Amino acid sequence: MSVAESLAAARPRSSRAVAFLVFAIAIALIAATPFLPNYYIRVIDSLLIYILLGIGLNIVIGYTGLLDLGFVAFYAVGAYSYALLASPQLDLHLPFLLILLVAACLGAITGILLGIPVLRLRGDYLAIVTLGFGEIVRIIINNLDWLTGGPKGIARLDKASILGIQIARPVDFFWLLLVVVLLAGLVAWRLERSILGKAWAAIREDQDAARGIGINTTNAKLAAFATSATIGSIAGAIFGASQRFVSPESFTLQESVLIVLMIVVGGIGNILGIVAGAAILILLPEVLREFAEWRILFLGLLMIFLIIVRPAGIVPRSFGPDKLIGRLFGK
Amino acid sequence: MTLVFDRLRKEYGQVVAIDDVTASFAPGLIHGVIGPNGAGKSTLINMTAGSYTVSSGSIALDGKRLDKLKKYQIANSGVARTYQNIRLFDQMTALENLEVCFYPSDVGGTWKEVLWPPYASARRVHRREKCMEILRFFDLQGHADAEAGSLPYGRQRMLEIARALVCNPRLLLLDEPAAGLNHHETAELTAKLAAQRSPDRITIIVEHDMDLVMALCDNIIVMHHGKLLFQGTPAEVQASTDVQLAYLGTANDIDDIRAAAQDRRAQLGIRTRRRS
Ligand SMILES: Nc1ncnc2c1ncn2[C@@H]1O[C@H](COP(=O)(O)OP(=O)(O)OP(=O)(O)O)[C@@H](O)[C@H]1O
Ligand SMILES: [Mg+2]
Repeated sequence: MSVAESLAAARPRSSRAVAFLVFAIAIALIAATPFLPNYYIRVIDSLLIYILLGIGLNIVIGYTGLLDLGFVAFYAVGAYSYALLASPQLDLHLPFLLILLVAACLGAITGILLGIPVLRLRGDYLAIVTLGFGEIVRIIINNLDWLTGGPKGIARLDKASILGIQIARPVDFFWLLLVVVLLAGLVAWRLERSILGKAWAAIREDQDAARGIGINTTNAKLAAFATSATIGSIAGAIFGASQRFVSPESFTLQESVLIVLMIVVGGIGNILGIVAGAAILILLPEVLREFAEWRILFLGLLMIFLIIVRPAGIVPRSFGPDKLIGRLFGK
Repeated sequence: MTLVFDRLRKEYGQVVAIDDVTASFAPGLIHGVIGPNGAGKSTLINMTAGSYTVSSGSIALDGKRLDKLKKYQIANSGVARTYQNIRLFDQMTALENLEVCFYPSDVGGTWKEVLWPPYASARRVHRREKCMEILRFFDLQGHADAEAGSLPYGRQRMLEIARALVCNPRLLLLDEPAAGLNHHETAELTAKLAAQRSPDRITIIVEHDMDLVMALCDNIIVMHHGKLLFQGTPAEVQASTDVQLAYLGTANDIDDIRAAAQDRRAQLGIRTRRRS
């Protein structure tokens, strides 16, 4: 039993207060963000992008139990979709929402293309092969100069706009990302609670027994890969639009590892955990910016500490969004 | 219509685990499969459920070949099973372990469940009602929200059988359902299984516990070295010297078989969890 749970069992009233506090802090942060200097808003935007990536990858890692180390590939697919369809590179200037749709579809397709060859793999083998896949995508982008501009990347991307409203300032992206994160979180959470989500959990627990109760594990896994990749790709398109520049450097293995770490540290299989994990791994390095080299050492120590005191993550799987909302309303 | 094995054979390299077994199983009856360790009983179950491939011969349920199908397709043809070593979805609750069995019928509505909450809750209520019904039947309603892996061993056995029954299978395969249970639990299990008899269902129980087999089964198949050694009613099996020879090497009383089963039960420790 986790600390949060045992506290909750012992003192329901105080746990309700904690839930209120969490919501109050979240709303206060959201309300305060537009008034912060641009630099801070950019940090918060990048935090939201990582939360979005975490929500996507968690479907495969947390819900279905498949260790995917190549997630950054889908992020790249989304970013380059925007870069190619809204820049002088191919002289295409499609509307932002249309590109989001294209990116989502391309993400789903690449998700399935990656999924098919790794269907039989699990655990370490899966991790290695997906890691390779992520690197292959990056290397292709790096070498396909005529299309992607190679290592130089693609610059001067169009300013995004939605229905005539320009999305250009960090604060515009903040609102856009907030809506997308909330939507993606809602979809992921409802998927987890759906019958498909139960099947993902069954595959995670015992794949063979899952087949034994009639689950077509191939389809269920591909559905997980596809939804996860779709979210990753959407995150990439928004990232491209907000940077207005993409290059292969943004899509290294390190990024994949960072997202996995976020999930593991925050609480695998739990959207609330991802928010916590992202907050620590994205915000702390910013806070510690002044300490330069010491930063990595400090983060490493913190990670070791967290893994020892909270092996199931900061917010364990058992304390999902439904629990938090339930607490708020005193259920 | 029935379940039919036709010259069914399973080889692991040089080892012949099932040696041209031909048998048929009628619905409405409970069929026992007994035999010494390594006789091939589990192999028979595993091939029928699609966990192992068939080397040669065929398995047909109601005239439909099962041995060509994938494991999940076999399950969707109405075959449900339990495992000799319990295989539950440990970190899911007891209720969820049953609920997920509705995946084949409900998966088509997944997006509707995601996008339209009233539909989702209606489906969930519907599924959970059915699950609670079977949980109550196995006296597990108090454990509905407990993680399956945290239940006591005996409850886990019951839950696994409940999971096999929740979608009302045409063919129920139980591999040593009483293994590791104490006397009291075995008696409870025997009563539950007797109450689950249904004229449409073919039930096959692999079991070493002779009390359970003799009390429950209408028809018993005795396996020995992968071959079908004997088939008959419990009374006929008890009277057969062949059976006693197969089990004990000597023509002794059926009571000695019981004693062997007792030893085995003592050997089977509490199941170790695969995950911490
Ligand atoms: N995966 C496998 N690979 C190789 N040989 C196997 C395999 N599974 C079973 N066998 C062999 O096949 C034979 C039959 O095994 P099986 O598990 O079907 O016996 P059983 O009747 O269920 O025995 P028990 O009462 O111990 O459960 C045994 O000789 C066993 O060693
Ligand atoms: Mg066996």
